[in-house]
This record gives sequence, structure tokens and C-alpha cells, in this order.
Amino acid sequence: MVPGMNHKILRVNLTTRQVTVDEPDDLFYRRYMGGAAFVAYYLLKEMKPGADALSPDNMLIFALGPMTGTPVPGASRNCIGAKSPLSGGIAKSEVGGFFGAELKKAGFDTLIVDGKADTPVYLWIKDGEVEIRDASHLWGTTVLEAQDAIEAELGERLVRTATIGPAGENQAAIACIITDVRNAAGRGGLGAVMGSKNLKCVAVKGRRFPRGADQPKLLEMAKWMNNNYMNIGNAKGMHDLGTGAAAGMVGGNATGNLPVRNWGDGVFDDVEKITADAVRDEYRIGMEACPACQVRCKKVVELENDRFKVDPRNGGPEYETLAAFGSFMGINDLAAICRANELCSLHGLDTISAGGTLAFAMECFENEILTLEDTGGIDLRFGNADAMLQVLEMIAHREGIGDILADGSRKAAERIGHGASEFAMHVKGVEFGMHEPRLKQGLGLVYSVNAIGGDHMSGLHDTAFTQEGRGMDAVRMLGHMDPLPANDLSAAKVGMMRSAHLSRMIPDTLGMCHFVPWAMNQAVDLVRALTGWEYTAVEAMKLAERMVTMARAFNMREGLTAADDQLPDRFFKPTPRGALKDTAIDPDEMRNAIHTFYGMMGWDPETGVPTSEKLEELGISWAAT
Amino acid sequence: MRVVVDVMGPLQRFIKDQQRRVEVEVEEGTTLLGLLIQLGIDTNEPWNASLNGTLGDSSNVLTEESSVIVFPPIAGG
Repeated sequence: MVPGMNHKILRVNLTTRQVTVDEPDDLFYRRYMGGAAFVAYYLLKEMKPGADALSPDNMLIFALGPMTGTPVPGASRNCIGAKSPLSGGIAKSEVGGFFGAELKKAGFDTLIVDGKADTPVYLWIKDGEVEIRDASHLWGTTVLEAQDAIEAELGERLVRTATIGPAGENQAAIACIITDVRNAAGRGGLGAVMGSKNLKCVAVKGRRFPRGADQPKLLEMAKWMNNNYMNIGNAKGMHDLGTGAAAGMVGGNATGNLPVRNWGDGVFDDVEKITADAVRDEYRIGMEACPACQVRCKKVVELENDRFKVDPRNGGPEYETLAAFGSFMGINDLAAICRANELCSLHGLDTISAGGTLAFAMECFENEILTLEDTGGIDLRFGNADAMLQVLEMIAHREGIGDILADGSRKAAERIGHGASEFAMHVKGVEFGMHEPRLKQGLGLVYSVNAIGGDHMSGLHDTAFTQEGRGMDAVRMLGHMDPLPANDLSAAKVGMMRSAHLSRMIPDTLGMCHFVPWAMNQAVDLVRALTGWEYTAVEAMKLAERMVTMARAFNMREGLTAADDQLPDRFFKPTPRGALKDTAIDPDEMRNAIHTFYGMMGWDPETGVPTSEKLEELGISWAAT
Repeated sequence: MRVVVDVMGPLQRFIKDQQRRVEVEVEEGTTLLGLLIQLGIDTNEPWNASLNGTLGDSSNVLTEESSVIVFPPIAGG
């Protein structure tokens, strides 16, 4: 038995209502670890090839990392994954809060749900026992209403949950899963997968956490981080403001990073009105933490005006949300942005994809591809905050134009036609994070090749490595010595981004947060203390490579090709004004960088298919198709 | 010559009274890196700068009309 693990994988088939438990051996954990790597492994190994993402054959996987739930700052994360209804490839999304730790304490390392219940159900998992309970009376409720109702009927307090709202129930492909009412496993449409299984919620309660091999060492390292994080990287900024500080957003506006009007403009004059500083000054009533974390980066907002009120139980907006519902739609109404964030928590919508899809619709409207007749009389222009809030609710309920937009910008553009695809900003059908790839071109490469689509957390950001200084430490420890321009796409940059992409997968397999500034060698020491293994950074990077390659192999098997590793055409032209008015991505350089990346990964340089030699080297020859 | 500099976020701690906007007299030929050093900013800290509306490089030379915003890189969220 590996210390720190339960050695129990819980499986629930909702069609047969069969509950089983696998007990993997030690080497399985060492080879696949947990989190994102578990998701990639199970999908590739066990999901029926070609299964529809919204069919009973899809597998919904709640995968903890080995560190999840340990009393270590940042060790609160778990990965939720499935085949994505947006991309048709792998979806994986990391989420904080208390749900993951609770599942570990309840006796399991991962939960795999497949099949489909006849009628709505929820799972109640308590101290190793599993019950499939009726959720017919909960269908149609918001995430918050469901939480209160479940706690009331179970007679328990502090039940930790992973829940869908109406958006997931209606199988909106941009629906997400919300843990503990206000944390989102946002990306890839996981809420729709959960809804397709008639699964409203997974509710968990547990009391026993497996001890690590060297528990005093874990506690010593936790204490060290708590005493020192304020002086490392940007952790103090995260503690004070969370994401979206004015420093970064104003600077981003001045250098071209801030997304404006569906990536179609380069300047947002009202940026100072939508920052985390403005949230603090106007509506913030506190900051919240995940278990064992003193960084406390999560905003809590409360407000009431003549249009709506926002309940602090629904959290507060992160940078991605501030930008997606702010500058990205030309909206400077901070109260409306906070309300949009709340609606996404209540209805279970991904703020990035919802923001991206609404901005797409606004651009279609301004170009008369969508009309008042299409929108039911809603004036869906950029900058109209009330229209944004109205259509957001219509998306969750698939009402009117919301029914078309519920499946994300790519599919909406296909249904709308008339050239709407020109305004659909996605990679693999997944709207990407609020960071400009014309400025950060290495990140644009990662957006392109990333198995889950354009995700801002899957790579390091070029602007941090353009000059000497402590910022270079993050890439020097990966073997890359020299600063490179943000718009560079040389082989040196591709190599840097390959290493960065892999290194970002390490916390995602461990169940660790990217915002607590553990260095890679410290993360390795944490794994050694937990498991007793002679773990090394080399092994961690090899695991990341195994995870990324399994995800790639899954996508290839499900029909994606190198042609899907493609940014929208807009990014190969400059913005009409602003910092990037003379800057665009060179399509030939990007295509060359993509093929160079394939080669560096041990994938076929032309097709991007993992080679049999690479699969063999990684110990996953079984993954050959 | 004088240049106007906005110093953002945690980098303000290097500026007297933690001001956001400062005007500073610099010599001809001063680079962006030289400006930060003159301001007393620890250039080992991660930083980016907007120089005249685009992402600046540490070797960029300032001019009379230069407008500068110095800020920590944004890298996720």
C-alpha cells in the first residue's frame, strides 16, 4: 500500500445501479499518479471508442491527486474529466474547494461514473458507503438550492458537493460542474456530461484521511509555506486581491494582453472599472480559502441595487470572469459582471465559454448576422450589460437564442451560418482563456496543441520570460537558460513551451494548486514525504509526458487531427488599434512551431500522432491504436 | 528630459510614498532598464513595461514623449 492513498477507485454505473470498487496496486499509482493522468488513462483505456460525449458510454471521472486533502497549502485540487461535448476530445478541468479532500476522507481516490440513470439521481458517499438517491425533486434547482435541499434531507451540515445547475441538466455544452456552491470545474462542458447521466450531484462526507509516510515532514513543509508565501512570486498579490489585479489588467491593456470585444479590438478605456481592485473597493466583503491554504485568493462579493442582488454564498469573479464579462463584451458595469459570475455559479456555466459565446453573439449582432428577431427583441450589442445577463439565463434554460448559444460558439456558428464562423473564437470548439496569443505567441502555440483546447493554465506565459530576473527561475529549472521575446516562435521557444506545458501538468496530476508557489523540487519533496517513494523531478516530468501523450492519443482515436490544432484566423491579423496594431502571428511560423512541438514530444512531426516508440518509452504501448 | 511613469501593483513599494504616477528626469539615451534602476525598482523582480503603447524591452531607449507603465507580468487566473 502506498501511504497517503486509499487504494480504492469507486465505480458507479447509473444504468445498472451497480457500485464496485477497484483496488489498484502500488505501481499503478506510481505510473499514473492521479488527477489529470487518471482521467486520460481511464478515458483512453476504458471508454468505448467513438462514444458520443452525451451518451451513457461516456465516463465522468472525479480524479483526486495523491496530495489532494493533505494538510498542505494548495493541496485542495481535484481533476474532473470526460469526453468533451465541445471538442469531441478529452475534457479535464481542475477545481478547488473542499469536495476533493472530502472524497479522499470518505475512502476513495477517484470516482468514475458511467451509464445513465432512468430518472434524476444524486450520489451520497459517506465514509466508504455509497447510496444512489432520487433527485427528481432537485431537477431544475440552482446549485445553491440543491445544496441546501440535500443538506436538509440528509440531516448533515457541511456536505461537500459537486453539482450541476439547470445548464448541465439541459446539456448545454458550455455547462460546468460546481463544487461546494462556488468553485467551478469549468472547462470542456463537463456539466453537460453529468446532466446527460441524470446525475444532479455527488454529495460527500468523510472523516478519515490516510496518513503520509512522513507526516511530520508534510506538516513542516506546510508550516514553511505558510510562513514564507508572502515573499514568493506573486502570492502576496493573490492574497490581497486574488486574480485580476489592476496592475496586471491595466498593464495588459497597455501591452495588448487584455481581450477586448471578442478579440476584435485592442483597447478598453474603462479597464480600471473592472479590476480586482475595483471589486475590493465596491463589493468585496472578504476573501476565502480552500482547505489548509493561507493564500486565500477567492473573492467573496455582496451587492444589491435596483436591478438585482448578489449573494456572497455564490463567490466572486476571478480575472477570467472579469475580463470575459467585462472588456471582452465591452462592458464596464462591475455590478453586472458580479451578477454574471453569480448566474454562472447558480446555473452551472463556465464563465470563459459563456463569456466567449456571448461575445461571439454580440459580434454577430453588430454585423447583422443575428437580428432582433433572432434574439427575441434583445439589443445584443457590445456593452449592453442587461442584455448579457438576460441571454446568460436563456442559455442556461435553452430558451430562444440561448438554445443556439448553449453549445458554444463553434456549434452556434454552424447553426447560425451566414459567415458567423468568422467570429467564433475557439480552439477545438473550446473558447480560450482571456490572454492574447498575438502578444504571448508561445502561449498561442500551447492553445493550439493542447489536448483540451485553448486553456490559459496549460502553459507558462511568454511575457514572464522576456528578460533577466527571478521570473526566469521558472524556466531555468526546466533547463531553458535564455530570455526570449514574447512573439518568438523559434525552436528554443517551442522547447521552452513544451517544458512549460509539461510542468503545468505536474500540479494537475498531484492535486495541487498553481497559485501556491511551490517550486518543482518542493512538490517532489511533498510527494516523497507523502508516499515514501524516491520520487524525482525527472519522474514527475515523465509522468506529465505520459499524461499529455495519453490525452493526445485519446483525441486522435476520437477523430481529432492536426488540423484541429489551429487558432482562429483573427489572430493572424493585427488588432485595429492598441498595442498590437502592428503585431500578428505569422501563420507559417506558427504552423512550423506546431510541427516542431510534435517532433519534440515524440509525436509524428506531420500528423501529431504519438509514435509507437514514444508510447513504448513511456510504458503505455497499450495506447497504440 | 522628463518621462511620466506609472508603476503598478507590488512594484510600487520601491517608489517613495508608494506612488503610482511619478515624473522623472532622465538622461538622453536612458533605456527602460536604466529607468527602472534609476527609480530604485529591484529589476530582479518579474516586470513588464508598456513603452509608448506596446510591450517594451529592457534595451529600448526612452525619448522625450515616452510614456511608461511598469507592472508585474500577468500569467493566469
